[in-house]
Amino acid sequence: MPTETPTKPVEDSIAKVNDDIAVGEDLEFQRRWWKFERGVWVVLSILVLLDVIGVFGRGPLSTAHRQTPDGALRVQYDWVDRFQTPSNITLHFGPQAVHNGTIRLWVSDEVVKALGNQRVSPQPVQSITGNGGVQYTFAATDKPNSVEFALQPSIVGETHFSLRLLSDDPSQPQEAFTAGVFVMP
Amino acid sequence: MAAILRAALGYFFLVFMVRVVGRRPGKQMNPFEFVLIFFIGGLALTFVVADDRSLTNAFTQIMTIGLAHYLLVLVRQHSPRIAKLLDGTPLILLAHGQWHEEVMHGMLIDPQDVMTAARDKGISSLDGIEYAVLERNGEISIAPASKG
Repeated sequence: MPTETPTKPVEDSIAKVNDDIAVGEDLEFQRRWWKFERGVWVVLSILVLLDVIGVFGRGPLSTAHRQTPDGALRVQYDWVDRFQTPSNITLHFGPQAVHNGTIRLWVSDEVVKALGNQRVSPQPVQSITGNGGVQYTFAATDKPNSVEFALQPSIVGETHFSLRLLSDDPSQPQEAFTAGVFVMP
Repeated sequence: MAAILRAALGYFFLVFMVRVVGRRPGKQMNPFEFVLIFFIGGLALTFVVADDRSLTNAFTQIMTIGLAHYLLVLVRQHSPRIAKLLDGTPLILLAHGQWHEEVMHGMLIDPQDVMTAARDKGISSLDGIEYAVLERNGEISIAPASKG
């Protein structure tokens, strides 16, 4: 035998306007919502402005410049990057970075792993991996040189990377450089 | 896991944005609002799909969005407060020949929108309207003035 559909008496639960039409308007709630909406628009406008100036990456404020005290290495990079979005680290070498027609540079593993190094331009003549990083050797003249690392970050969050200029003479101090990058999701 | 989180986040973010943008999208949607909906949808697609274009990802993300939607509808049905937050309440735009200007201004609706809905009902002038109500789904419903 089929069971009956449960029923319930209809109640006049929806508020009427002028005792005339059941609308269920709640103007007080709506006024609070409009206030909330205005707050949201202000917050969204601020976020868009911050994005335009580069606080979330890919803008003027997201680019940083650093250099070693002797000027042998100057680095331009984005301190705020975005996940899976291309960016660059550009290295400018002064003449003092060149030894016997080569520049030897050690780059920490974070550049390859967390920051997702895709390619190095120009191509190094030699790459040796080990000691927590990669050692690149570039053929160079005595004039200012530059090298570019094309990145595509693969890990969200803060990452610190290090660069170090290597010289043939062990008695000479090696110019080191460490920087932090925040990768936005 | 990340793809599922992206899909759920994308769904709830879009629900929030569409709610904040306003209730005009609906029957009163004009060509500009079509641009808004398609553009938001297209942009959301880029971060939801990201670099995973596999069938597995598409299926799991569709299932995630389906579940997220079901959850939202379930919560809405059981909680009048959440229903109000998600859909708002119906609002009176016009009653007995008086515009409710606060509501008209707040909901970005002008008399032409009301008249469009009235014509749909075969009413040829504003004085033929007893009540005009902006419904929760964005439609404007019209109660015609009683004759005489």
